[in-house]
Amino acid sequence: MKYHGVTLHRKLENNIGLLIFGILFISSIGGLVQVLPSIFQESLKTATENSHLYSAVELTGRDVYIREGCHVCHSQQIRPLLAEVERYGPYSRADEFVYDRPFMWGSKRTGPDLHRIGGKYSDDWHRVHLIDPRSVINNSIMPAYPWLAEWEATDLGDIQKKMSVLRILGHPYTDEEIAAAPEEIAGLSQLDALIIYLQVLGTGLAEEYR
Amino acid sequence: MGNLLLFVVLHTPGVVFRQIAEGNTRIIGSVQKLTFLLILLPPVFSFIGSTLFGWRLGAADPLYFDSTARVIISFFYADALILGYISTALIARWMSKTYGGGKVPTASLFAFFTVVLAPICIASAAHIFPHIFFNVLVLIPTIIWSMTLLYRGLPVVMNIPPERGMLMSSSLVGWLLVAFVSLLGLSAALWTYGIGPSIGV
Amino acid sequence: MISDGREIYHDGVVKRLIQFSIIWAVVGMVVGVWLAAQLIWPGLDFGQFWLTFGRIRPLHTNGIIFGFGVSALMATAFYSVQRTSNVPLFMPRLAWICCYGWQVLVLLGGISLLAGWTSTKEYAELEWPFDIVITILWVCFAVVFFGTIATRRIRSIYVSNWFYGALIIVIAMLHIVNNLALPVSINKSYSLFPGAQDAIVQWWYGHNAVGFLLTGGFLGMLYYFLPKQSGQPIWSYRLSVISFWAFTYTYIWAGPHHLHYNSIPEWVQSLAMVMSLILLAPSWATMINGIMTVSKAWRKLSVDPALKFIVLALAFYGLATFEGPMMAIRSVNIVSHFTDWTIGHVHSGALGWNAMITYGTFYYMVPHMMGRELYSVRLANIHFWLALAGTMLYILAMWGAGVSQGLLWLSIDDIGELSYSFNDVMAAMVPYYALRLVAGLIFLAGTVLMAYNLFRTMYGRHTVAVSPPLIIDELQGTVYKEEPREPSSGNAQEVPA
Repeated sequence: MKYHGVTLHRKLENNIGLLIFGILFISSIGGLVQVLPSIFQESLKTATENSHLYSAVELTGRDVYIREGCHVCHSQQIRPLLAEVERYGPYSRADEFVYDRPFMWGSKRTGPDLHRIGGKYSDDWHRVHLIDPRSVINNSIMPAYPWLAEWEATDLGDIQKKMSVLRILGHPYTDEEIAAAPEEIAGLSQLDALIIYLQVLGTGLAEEYR
Repeated sequence: MGNLLLFVVLHTPGVVFRQIAEGNTRIIGSVQKLTFLLILLPPVFSFIGSTLFGWRLGAADPLYFDSTARVIISFFYADALILGYISTALIARWMSKTYGGGKVPTASLFAFFTVVLAPICIASAAHIFPHIFFNVLVLIPTIIWSMTLLYRGLPVVMNIPPERGMLMSSSLVGWLLVAFVSLLGLSAALWTYGIGPSIGV
Repeated sequence: MISDGREIYHDGVVKRLIQFSIIWAVVGMVVGVWLAAQLIWPGLDFGQFWLTFGRIRPLHTNGIIFGFGVSALMATAFYSVQRTSNVPLFMPRLAWICCYGWQVLVLLGGISLLAGWTSTKEYAELEWPFDIVITILWVCFAVVFFGTIATRRIRSIYVSNWFYGALIIVIAMLHIVNNLALPVSINKSYSLFPGAQDAIVQWWYGHNAVGFLLTGGFLGMLYYFLPKQSGQPIWSYRLSVISFWAFTYTYIWAGPHHLHYNSIPEWVQSLAMVMSLILLAPSWATMINGIMTVSKAWRKLSVDPALKFIVLALAFYGLATFEGPMMAIRSVNIVSHFTDWTIGHVHSGALGWNAMITYGTFYYMVPHMMGRELYSVRLANIHFWLALAGTMLYILAMWGAGVSQGLLWLSIDDIGELSYSFNDVMAAMVPYYALRLVAGLIFLAGTVLMAYNLFRTMYGRHTVAVSPPLIIDELQGTVYKEEPREPSSGNAQEVPA
């Protein structure tokens, strides 16, 4: 009896099926209690007046942002701390991200947060900065992206298909919006699309929360 | 006497280690007296530095604190060092059985760690100019110095083979790393609670 | 049963996996050093879109974790599971498919990252076609591993296999759930989870990829190779039982501490913080078990460079598993989040723990499998000091950088205005980034030395064969080899010594 716990464990370590089941059972408890309820929490996925549905061009710009890995160095998440709100703007709210697939919060600020970058600088500033960052900020360590000005926004994949897939996931695009999408992005460079995306970032927040 | 001993500690630590190992109470006593001087150096230097130059974290303007904050910071710093010093010696005593160290008097262990930490305490003069990167640069060679003293001195003082000394020293290095990172974490937590530099949280 | 010692265990696949692992280590670290240099000289992308920081940073993390780490884990799992089960690998052909399939996956996956195919989720950046291939290969890995255990001739399943088993099972679960997405095209998909939920799922994955792959998997390595190398049984069997289950249960809750003060429910954050703090107990229980085991093997230390790496790995494991829970405390996290402190913490684990224990294991395995002496013990000793110096410098640099960043970003003056612009803080980082580059170069140099040393051991002509692999000996002394005995002490389960 002295080694009761050990005897119990002997059963597990003598039976591979039991061991596999034990590991699966023990390791899934945390996920079931903590992660699963979050997945069913409506407030984390229900659109409100703060939620902004990306247009065809903005979505294309967002995919440029993703492809170039901007999220590696720039967060999109303003914490409710005095200094952070002063520096970047009103803190981020969960309902602002319901149309973000995947999320772009990031984990490292090698560069500044971009959640409320929209409207802070002019389109021209962004254009110059993205093509040659060091011409605007002399000690910037951001890579230069001159080629984005030459690449067509239409080269980034079938926009209609993207919007249809997102509609399956619950983004309320209308048939008209999807039909008009190719025309909207036609003629734009990827740089244009990226700037349009950056300019809309964080601007969806309703007036009362500002 | 004290000054001469400090010179001996820094210049020929091997002699001091052997004296400690042989249980030379006079030397052990003198070294222990030296401890009080050495352990107060970093907080004092830090106080002077933050008064004269402010914390320079590499950004344009230095961070200045009012005198209350400076006293509190130095006070916590001294506390943390004393706590770290005592706990390291006690942990070494606790570990000694595992590594075959037998019964080494606690006084000898305290004396030993004074010798090991002496270079770091003296190099804390760099705090007088509290530019953090400058301090990091000074810290690197002194850490190497102190670690060498630890690895070479421990087997002598504990009277154990060098291999066991290496194992025990590595365990102590693990502990010291943890102690150091605790200091960082504690500082960050204190800043968050409004002690130290003013941050907007 | 044992007629020809060389035939009984399938070590060819192990050897090949070790070679790949070493190659990925060098490649991954070269990319890491390059990234470090880009943070000082941004022009180092040479105006090439596929060399920009945002694209090669995932290449570094994936190359190290999946190339170096998983190859090493597969190699050691295949090596140890045969010996602790006293049978050859189950379906050895499948093991070879696993080996080569995985290398092709890492290679093509790496190229796809350079091409900008990314799901953006950290450590799960590869797009959906690769995710499917990973799943298939992972199932193969599981079949070989659990199949070998199922056909074992030793009644008891040894500790190291619990950890490898947890690695395989939990990573499978995390990988599948976190990568659920609707594909648009071959290189693009949209996550099934929106915004905040996506974040919670991702860090449930991200943190436990660290937990069960980089911690748990490598603990499996520790539990087999430490007793083998030191010739000592694990100090406490019961401690390993308790710490294993506590570890498996607790780790999974800690993920959302990556999202403190982010837009997720507060109870999720608080729960993650509490569980992170509890996690210290099983983590350190394992460390104590390791330290106590190795403390009895001091006589071997002067002749065996491999053991030194393990000793040091345990020290850094202790540091990283303490620092993690500490940084999960919300009031500490306010300062440390989004800064280089996080990068430093990751590397105290990745360099100090994962790389060191793998190096120690390789220095043991390669001579044993080849039946030759290590090409140069002296080079291995030099490598040891380079690894130690590189790791220490790296951690110091990132502590300095991270704490400064956190403090400067949050600093406000008397009237409550920000003291520093973002640019001021960025300028302050330059010396630390330079120091980090030096640290990375030192660590890389050590790894290159090891690669040379081990490849010379494998292929060198001037080495003298000392003895064939001691396979028959390895089967002796197993407690449960003949008749399972009830444990009479805490050290019930000994590794086949």
